[in-house]
Amino acid sequence: MSGTRVALCLVPLAMAISLCRANAAPLDESAERYRPYMIEGIGSALAGARDLRERVAAKDLAGAKQAWLSARAGWERSEVFTAGFVPELDALIDAWPNAGSGFHAIEAKLFGAGQTDVEGDADALVKNLDDLHSRLRDMRLTPQGLLDGTVRLAYEVGEGKADGGESRISGTSLDDMRNNVAGIDFAYRTIFAEALKAVDAGLDEQVTERIAQLKLIVGAPDLPHVDVRALRRASEELVIALQAASARLGLQRPTLEAQSR
Amino acid sequence: MNAGRLSAAIVAAGLLVAVLHGRVMAFPVEGDQTTLPTHTELNEDALDRPREVFHSEITGRKSYLVNLGNLAFSSPSILGGVARQANISCGTCHVNGAGNAKLFMPKMSTRPGNFDTTGPLFNPKADNGLLDPVRIPSLRGARYLAPYGADGRMPSLRDFVRNVIVNEFAGPEPSPAIVDAIVAYIQDIDFLPNPSLGPAGRLVGQVSETERRGEALFSKPFPHDPGMSCAGCHVPSGAFVDHKQHDVGSGGLFKTPTLRNADFNAPYFHDGRFDSYNQVVAHFDKVFTLGLSTQDQKDLVAYLTAVGDGVLPYEHEDAGASLKEINDFASVLGTAIPAGDKKTVVLAVDTIGGELRELTEQYPDHKNTSVSGGAQERINARAGLKEVVLLLRRIDMAVGEGRIADAAADYRNYRYLMAAAVPSLLGGAERWSLFNPEVHDQHYGALRQVLQSKHVSR
Repeated sequence: MSGTRVALCLVPLAMAISLCRANAAPLDESAERYRPYMIEGIGSALAGARDLRERVAAKDLAGAKQAWLSARAGWERSEVFTAGFVPELDALIDAWPNAGSGFHAIEAKLFGAGQTDVEGDADALVKNLDDLHSRLRDMRLTPQGLLDGTVRLAYEVGEGKADGGESRISGTSLDDMRNNVAGIDFAYRTIFAEALKAVDAGLDEQVTERIAQLKLIVGAPDLPHVDVRALRRASEELVIALQAASARLGLQRPTLEAQSR
Repeated sequence: MNAGRLSAAIVAAGLLVAVLHGRVMAFPVEGDQTTLPTHTELNEDALDRPREVFHSEITGRKSYLVNLGNLAFSSPSILGGVARQANISCGTCHVNGAGNAKLFMPKMSTRPGNFDTTGPLFNPKADNGLLDPVRIPSLRGARYLAPYGADGRMPSLRDFVRNVIVNEFAGPEPSPAIVDAIVAYIQDIDFLPNPSLGPAGRLVGQVSETERRGEALFSKPFPHDPGMSCAGCHVPSGAFVDHKQHDVGSGGLFKTPTLRNADFNAPYFHDGRFDSYNQVVAHFDKVFTLGLSTQDQKDLVAYLTAVGDGVLPYEHEDAGASLKEINDFASVLGTAIPAGDKKTVVLAVDTIGGELRELTEQYPDHKNTSVSGGAQERINARAGLKEVVLLLRRIDMAVGEGRIADAAADYRNYRYLMAAAVPSLLGGAERWSLFNPEVHDQHYGALRQVLQSKHVSR
């Protein structure tokens, strides 16, 4: 191969690399824009958990349930980053089915048994969320990690819920899904949409449409009315579109499991 | 039954009892947000599944039609909205073509193993206002068992299948090709072989005295009507049926059920009212005043047990068995993709994708407290399965957009991954999966404990 041909072959590669670099810096900045949302979400979960601890101490079952729901909503909105960035805390806070502590252990007591004897569990939840919250300001947020988390959550939203879903005792699995979709939507719009639109407006449109479909589907009045087939299709098509987006954004193909890169 | 076979049967029965008791943690539907009534039991977490024997595999391979039928049979999407939402398919009741003796659905069942096909849940228009469930039958040997339905009301299996889909489960009108395929699948399900049965339905080999006496009693004319005998209806032949309906004192005319593999078909009678052969024989003794002695009854039960036996009735559910079934389903794509057959591709992707997602959940994620160890192996297994789910979706999208060559390329990738990489990943994680009885019981025990908290204080 002549030197000229080599040079010609290298041109697209150089352009691709420069494109990656061109995209990488703005994406890093965009990832930073996600930080306040993350702090707000976990802050909300922490506030709810503290309220829960107080209500539990006061033996106020109704208040404790309300506080749990509030804490849960903040947590579910934040799942884009929890599994990938803080897997050990994620496992402590959201463990199931018979967690020693965490949301589901408390859920079973409050909503299942109708008991408020969860002081220890509530303490642990506050401690773990507090620990997480304190790390958020200095946590290094990478566009790759946030895309990985967005993709994983998009896939997870499409999982079957015929058995009542993850939060079946409290009957709030649909709320979990809505908050998950809200988290996906925010992460995409804040971090990736602008950059993707600049390089591939059609792909951005595909992603945006799939997220809109997901929102519509989880807008059903209750879990039995969620169109599970349509949900799965939209979830998988969104993941595929985001996989394609990763290449256009100069990122690696997203992982489908936390820590699987 | 000879001593060896008897002891083997006792051991097998003991194992079965142990298995059933070991699976008492079978997981019922719970919570307020489910389509099916709370406390529905589908026994979907069973680790021992009925073994399915295909006639076509004795000499060759299953045809495209049989695989398509098996796929449709396993797909909730051919049924109506309630069934689809609840992820119910034909295969939920007829597991691997056998019955589902543990299935119980409040409002639709009066006991495990029966189901009201004219109940209110799946098609209110078909509701007859009565709770009149029928036993969920095994479909083994169905091609020998016309007419169809517990009351034998339908001579045609094809008509029966269509009726189940459209009327009992409110599904959309199926295409003739799909009905043909389901019929082909059902007709391909063989009885489990029973080496104790010889020509003309005679017991052969080492036959015990009690079995031989039972065999003679079976053909003995009834005292009060010499024109009748057990064998008069259960004609000792390939299937032990006469293809007719009879009134045997159970509340109407019902067709003669097969005795082949019946050891695994409890509960018995059209509504599943009896748990055992002992109860069945006692019923006939009473209704037809047969005057059977205690020994006679034992002899008849021994004979029925010998006739109703089958080789390896259950097999352990594992990744290999799941992948085998999924690969059989996926083989239809090899025909449907080049033909641009969008409907079949959608059916396949929907059904196989669902199966693969369920298989993924056999490998607990990092938040599951039921298992420790094998974290990386479980991650790899889950990631591998998710990749093939997405490959299937790419195929669906490509065929939908008329990009047949792209779909064919993705299908080649899918097959490549499913041939070696995915089985290897699943094999590496098997000991930490729900296919491991210890992990399985830990997981479902924990889940059950959590769900039961709902009833502790109520």
